[in-house]
Amino acid sequence: MAVENISSLHLQRRLESSPERVFDAWVNPETVRKWLFTTPTSESNTTQIDARADGQWVITDRRDGVDYKALGVYVEIDRPRRLVFTFGMPQFSPEFALVIVEIAPEGNGSLLTITHERLPWSHVKETEQGWKNMFTQLASVLGE
Amino acid sequence: MVLHLSVLLDRVFHALADPTRRAMLRSLASGERNIGELAAPHRMSFAAASKHVRVLESAGLARRRIDGRAHKFQIEPSALAKADEWLRFYERFWTEKLDALESLLKAEDKAYSSSPDNNTSSRKDKDNGRRKH
Repeated sequence: MAVENISSLHLQRRLESSPERVFDAWVNPETVRKWLFTTPTSESNTTQIDARADGQWVITDRRDGVDYKALGVYVEIDRPRRLVFTFGMPQFSPEFALVIVEIAPEGNGSLLTITHERLPWSHVKETEQGWKNMFTQLASVLGE
Repeated sequence: MVLHLSVLLDRVFHALADPTRRAMLRSLASGERNIGELAAPHRMSFAAASKHVRVLESAGLARRRIDGRAHKFQIEPSALAKADEWLRFYERFWTEKLDALESLLKAEDKAYSSSPDNNTSSRKDKDNGRRKH
């Protein structure tokens, strides 16, 4: 493994759609529910998105009768260039990551770059109260 | 267990976030070094280099071997492997997601261009659907 490539993850993908369309696929709940946190065999998917800075997002995907959640908070929304959000899957790990999505026009389409950085666990602990508040709100939204 | 791994990964990623420490690790990857050898390419004091090495040690990325009065350092690959494992997990995750996004956008484009009249969503999407592929 290369030491240089190990501090964070970078992925790039060329897409045939315009930057606006690609950007919207990340924040429009009707589109997000079809790809971001679901599987071809998922039984249901609920995607709630408050697409503004400090707004929350939560996706609940039911697989084999079990609800799996992915959630986070938007940090920066600059359509169609840049989207920054926190990302966690609390059933799998207490950790949160920072995901930076950058979209640049390229030919008739777009070049999408994802950077996935680990948020320090200490940061997660510091904002734990914030997360608790968020979960409480989510629970009431979801009627749990 | 998960918590322990989180704390370990915190230290590893903190250590790896610094370019000097990454350079030191690369140097260690090609063999055992002492502090002077690790400091030399960076024009830094012995004390400053020593501080960086301690960060690498506390992250479990480097191991100290004491030979009489000489302290030698070796790379410890297992901590690096843990960080790599973490990154590869998310690499697979996002690769799958981007595959799904790409297929979805293609399928939508195809649907829009074959029957644009059926499209009742935003004008922006319609405009996009009219594009030739």
